Amino acid sequence: MTDQWVSFSQHGIAELVHLKGEIDLANANDIGRAIVAHTTEANAVLIDLTAVSFLDSAGVRLLDFIVGDLDDRGKPIKLVVGERGAARMTLQLCSFRTDLLSTDLERAAAELGR
Amino acid sequence: MSETGGPDVTNELRLPWDDDPEDLYEHAPCGYLTTLPDGTIVRVNETFLAWTGYTRAALIGHRRFRDLLTAGDKIYHETHYAPLLSMQSEVHEIALEVVGEDGRRLPVLVNSVLERGAGGAPRIIRTMVFNATERRSYERELLAARREAELSEQRVRVLQRIVADLSAAPTEAEVAEAVLRAPEPAFDAASSSIYLMDADRDQLIAVASTDPTTGNWEDMPRSSPRAVAEVARRGDLHVIGTLAEADEHFPDLAESMRRSGRATVVLLPLTAGAGDEQAPHVLGVLAFSFREERLLSDGELRVIRLLGQQAGQALDRARLYDDARRREERAGFLARTTRSLDEEHRLLQRARRLVERVVPEIADWAAVRLQVGPAGLLEDAGGPAPDAELLAGRVADATAKAEPIFAVDGDGLGCTVLPLTARGKVLGTLSLRMAADRRGAEAEKFFLVDLADRSGLALENARLYEQERAIARTLQRSLLAADVPGGDPRFAVETYYQAAAQDLEVGGDWFDAFLISPHKLAVVVGDVVGRGIDAATTMGQLRSAIRALASAEHGPARLLEQLDRFCERVDSARMATVVYGEIDLNSSELAYACAGHLPPLLHEPAGSPQYLLQARSAPIGSRAGDRRRTEHRVRLAAGSRLLLYTDGLVERRGRPIDRGFEILAREYARRRDAPLKGLTAGLADTLVGRDHADDVCLLCLTLGTEERLERSIGADPLQISLLRADLRGWLVGHAVDPDCVNAVLLACSEAVANAIEHGYRDDPFGVVDVSATVSADAVEVRVTDRGSWRGPGADFARGRGLQLIEDSMDEVFFDRGEGTTVTMRRHRGGVS
Repeated sequence: MTDQWVSFSQHGIAELVHLKGEIDLANANDIGRAIVAHTTEANAVLIDLTAVSFLDSAGVRLLDFIVGDLDDRGKPIKLVVGERGAARMTLQLCSFRTDLLSTDLERAAAELGR
Repeated sequence: MSETGGPDVTNELRLPWDDDPEDLYEHAPCGYLTTLPDGTIVRVNETFLAWTGYTRAALIGHRRFRDLLTAGDKIYHETHYAPLLSMQSEVHEIALEVVGEDGRRLPVLVNSVLERGAGGAPRIIRTMVFNATERRSYERELLAARREAELSEQRVRVLQRIVADLSAAPTEAEVAEAVLRAPEPAFDAASSSIYLMDADRDQLIAVASTDPTTGNWEDMPRSSPRAVAEVARRGDLHVIGTLAEADEHFPDLAESMRRSGRATVVLLPLTAGAGDEQAPHVLGVLAFSFREERLLSDGELRVIRLLGQQAGQALDRARLYDDARRREERAGFLARTTRSLDEEHRLLQRARRLVERVVPEIADWAAVRLQVGPAGLLEDAGGPAPDAELLAGRVADATAKAEPIFAVDGDGLGCTVLPLTARGKVLGTLSLRMAADRRGAEAEKFFLVDLADRSGLALENARLYEQERAIARTLQRSLLAADVPGGDPRFAVETYYQAAAQDLEVGGDWFDAFLISPHKLAVVVGDVVGRGIDAATTMGQLRSAIRALASAEHGPARLLEQLDRFCERVDSARMATVVYGEIDLNSSELAYACAGHLPPLLHEPAGSPQYLLQARSAPIGSRAGDRRRTEHRVRLAAGSRLLLYTDGLVERRGRPIDRGFEILAREYARRRDAPLKGLTAGLADTLVGRDHADDVCLLCLTLGTEERLERSIGADPLQISLLRADLRGWLVGHAVDPDCVNAVLLACSEAVANAIEHGYRDDPFGVVDVSATVSADAVEVRVTDRGSWRGPGADFARGRGLQLIEDSMDEVFFDRGEGTTVTMRRHRGGVS
């Protein structure tokens, strides 16, 4: 049901979550449930937002929840966003911690491993 | 003594009738007794003594008359004779039996007279005794004859009733029941049983008994040495009068006679069509038995044989009747099944319907297996399912041999497996488990083979249909899915295709949009005659032809003329309808032509929608229609929306087409402010719904960029992304820079989400109005709802939404009156 927006794979030790398309009030909850189902057991999580063309506050709330959950469990997480674009803009407007954000998937993965 | 001196003959010569009274008394032709009133014999004649053997001395003074009678008659004498005599003084023709001296009984008739003295006192009884030996035996014969006649009459009555029952019995089972009830009332039999011949299996089946504890109840082959089978083979009546006879000829019968305490058994074949020259046709055997040894009279035997013939004929008639009825039922079943299968076009549904028709009407379990696709297809009904391994073996056998394998008693599976064949190829199998009594019969086998033949053909047709349908649909999808140009701020195209419901074949509707040159866009909607793979193929050819023939120079009329010529080579394209338009993206001029197609519907930013009714001509390749192709040009205002569609959208059975046009125009106008994205799907949904018999194809083109964007959307989060698509296109069309576009999209989305989540929290039918204007230095967006809005502090997350609006826009104003209006402004060309 959420396959058009979210897909999963393994990248090193991290569970890699690919998001794409528009994430808003209409689909954020479903996407959130799909991500949580895949990451509750993960030791590290990478969320790739480079293909996200729109991200609203519902999407921000979703990411905030996932980050908080992993922080509580002491598991590292990184969000990969493009240099420009809607996702970066929204996350910056919401003042997401810069240590969470990365523009490069490989670098983010390497940082997770440290 | 004679005066004349003649001889006195009175002493020597007596006339023969001049009896001596004493001699007459003694030797009279009847006995004569004189008794005292108490019955003591005082005088008796010689005749009586001679008849009874007594001496005179033994009787006179020693015996009373009643002492000479049998015990029964003594009582009769006391109760009838004596009282009657005393009252009437005489009795006549009293039948009594006198016991002689040697004990022999002498039947007599007695007349007595009571003599009375002066004063009426009884003085003496005179009794005359007639010998009635002859008369008594005659009476006995009469009685016996009457009893026999009565019995015979009773038998005849019983038989008449049974014959009436037989003629009224329509089925074999009822005939058997009627025959079974005959022997007990007709012949006083103790019990009876009936066996019927199963000609197909050459077996005798025990069907019923009035006392099932007797006899051996297993079915037997006709060749069995058992007595019943023997009688069935010979076809004539057997009476086994004694156990000894049974021991000698039929040990099996003797054994069951002993067990059930029977002394005589009658085995009666039930025969029909017995011509003299040919052996009678035996349809069954009626067995009845007696506890005592019973000798049957010739009359009884005649009646028994008659019963056998009557019953046989009734059975024969019932069997013919049963056969006819079963044939009729089978024929009816086959006809109904074929019809019912025809109603379904799809393979799976047809297979499903087949098993559902077979169960429970002819089987308690059935399965269709088809070798289609990688996994095959299996549909079953009823239960319980038989042993899977045994069944798989039989299915494999039947498939390999391409021949039916019928269930046989005791095969451990009980299932008949019929190969489903069509055009000499085995498609799969139909497996059935039928009731045991339906197995084996030849007629039943023919019926099943017929059923399998018809089903095979129906399923093969469905498979071919399925295959063709899949190909056609794939072909159509691949053609329709080909990319429609997008991402150009000068125009936007939205398309929608909805296949006919009810599992119909694909239609020949199509749409297309392509750039002829960098500044000329072509849009097409067409409809090919017919359905299925032919229509899909033709549609593909026409679509390609139009793409190939379209040129920046010639225009729509010329293109239609070329399509007419194309038809001469591709005849299936004849009578296709096409609406074709070319839009000059620089001048916003539309040139269009309609070949037999429904008119396009144009909605300009001002005013109501108009049907474009110019430039009409006959369908492609039409021979009877007007094929002078013309075209018409219209200049479109920026923000105009042009709708092309196929007839499925407006044509309804039982509704004039004018009415369809009116409804379309009204719905189209109502959606003037709806986002383009989802517009065509929404129109199709409103106008035709899901359950429709025709394909529907729509193409909506928005031209140019409206100066002012105005949209109204329902209070549904899913609508936000549709709005965003329009807003994004509009912003890009006005060459707004990407950062500003993203910021406006985010702020507008958040504002609309706020309106939906808060303003219309309790109103699912609320509407959010969005308007946007763009100037040289700024974009302004206004989002209005009429809901009961709650303050931002109520919800942390929405608080974040409002924060995002504030952060991404340069100026934000909230106006809360009846509902809320958020007005947001962002400067172009850089973030503040």
